[in-house]
Amino acid sequence: MRAAPAVEITDLCKAFHVRRPRPGGFVARVQNFFRPHTQTVTAVDRLSFSIAPGERVAFVGPNGAGKSTTLKVLAGILQPDAGSVRVLGLEPARQRRELAFRVGTVFGQRSQLWYQLPPRDTFALLGRVYEIAGTEHRRRLDALTAAFGLGPILDTPVRQLSLGERMRCEIAASLLHAPRILFLDEPTIGLDVSAKAVIRELLHTESAQNGVTLLLTSHDTGDIERVCERVIVIHRGRLLWDGPIAHLRRRYLTTKRLTVWSEAERLELQLPGVRVVSSDAFRTELEVALDVASVGQVIDAALAQSPVRDLAVEDAPLDAVIRALYAEAEAGSSES
Amino acid sequence: MRTASAVSKYIAFARVATALARRDRGELYGRMLFFAVILGVFSSLWRAVAEAGMPIAADPRLLVWYLATTEWIILSAPPVHAELQESIRRGDVVCRLGRPVSYVGAAFAEALGLLAVRAPVLAATAWACAFAFTGWIPPLAPLALTLPLGFAAAALIAAMYLWIGLLAFWLEDVSPVFWVVQKLLFVFGGLMLPIELYPRAMQIAAAWTPFPVMLAGPASFVLRQSAADSLTLALEQAAWGGGIAFAVWWAFRRASATLTINGG
Repeated sequence: MRAAPAVEITDLCKAFHVRRPRPGGFVARVQNFFRPHTQTVTAVDRLSFSIAPGERVAFVGPNGAGKSTTLKVLAGILQPDAGSVRVLGLEPARQRRELAFRVGTVFGQRSQLWYQLPPRDTFALLGRVYEIAGTEHRRRLDALTAAFGLGPILDTPVRQLSLGERMRCEIAASLLHAPRILFLDEPTIGLDVSAKAVIRELLHTESAQNGVTLLLTSHDTGDIERVCERVIVIHRGRLLWDGPIAHLRRRYLTTKRLTVWSEAERLELQLPGVRVVSSDAFRTELEVALDVASVGQVIDAALAQSPVRDLAVEDAPLDAVIRALYAEAEAGSSES
Repeated sequence: MRTASAVSKYIAFARVATALARRDRGELYGRMLFFAVILGVFSSLWRAVAEAGMPIAADPRLLVWYLATTEWIILSAPPVHAELQESIRRGDVVCRLGRPVSYVGAAFAEALGLLAVRAPVLAATAWACAFAFTGWIPPLAPLALTLPLGFAAAALIAAMYLWIGLLAFWLEDVSPVFWVVQKLLFVFGGLMLPIELYPRAMQIAAAWTPFPVMLAGPASFVLRQSAADSLTLALEQAAWGGGIAFAVWWAFRRASATLTINGG
């Protein structure tokens, strides 16, 4: 029997009424004060998807696509205008407090920690808020301290922590009550490469070991590739793609990168669909348009010119794949 | 059991706020210094007025103790509206809204936590300054009554500031509202002078507002040197507290329904 979905959204709609002051002089200002002019901005437009328990899903889209709004609706912070939303069988807008015990949220650009106090104080407060018994709280905190390497920073005021340390504390804080789902909104924003790697590893491990469902928004494809197995792409509040990352690559992969280390100092490969990206002594980097040429053809052509010492074939970066998807959506929306 | 657990959550918020207040002592010291200055200035002023033979309808020493009490209440009430506005402006409010706890309840508990640190320190400062400038202490029974009633009054003011802070869900800047309400509190609350000294029309107008129970009410025990009517004041404070609580609840309910989180 299939487990009930952890998250199920059907035809979710959410719009905001944004004030747009009328331009002009005194009269316009008076009008803006007494009768403000508002514009309706559709953030989410008939969005539907479901997530199984334990899945790690990346939720991707350009700025303003509706990702954060969707997460806030799922967490019960915002009320949907239309559509149905169920998280762990609960209706977030109506059962927010009940749901809060079972989900965790991390908003990368916001903080749930008290800036002037050490993380230990926030953890103690959250223990009360989430009604965690004393011994259980100590056990969870010890486990998270060990897993997230928080020991040396637990008693340091948050304002003295680095961004990476703070983010580890934020994620630990959101996991303290052992939630079944974690909603993460850009958890690695602003972090350096090594801090990002640590956060990704921690998230992956927490989900894999404890079966925590992850829904993660990020503009960093490294987060998506290293943490998630499935990607949902939205654009202007609408679903563009929902499926495994590998399928997304296959569907939108139009090029491959081929690097050839040859015995000959230079290779002259002038084939249709092949572009030389860079060429150094004994090393040539090529981009192969797969609809025109195959990688095998290019390798054959290189071997015909010189013995080959080594070669590497890479997919186009996921960034490029997602950009292609956005571009297609933009083209589609401008046509319609 | 559930009620105890719910109460313990809000106590935890209050405790965090007290920890913050104890760490951030600079603001408290600033308020204590301001206290000493303002009482020094006004005690000289009331003395000069009395010596000049102008009728001020009360003993200058009583007026200094009255002012010490009203200033104590005003300075003890934490300006929670500013913190709320910043949280709403930055969008940090989103982290708090996702918790299994009432947002306004937690904010008010934090305000009470701050108040619990400020009020005793500032009360001691107020009494010490008032004694230093007058060389006199009012009867202890009415003076002691000002403590619980003054604390309740400061809590009412904090709740009113909380309501002002919630307006940040609609307004870009709530400080104009704060300034207007604060000036009304100063005037109709009787910050500088007892309301009994106001013109009749002003007294009637003040009676229709919640402000007298926030300042003049508790301070008048010092003035009258009597503990009479304390229960009436406590009931009036409770009634206005209910009204403010309703306004806060309604504002938050409206805000949650039409919430727009700044910054995505």
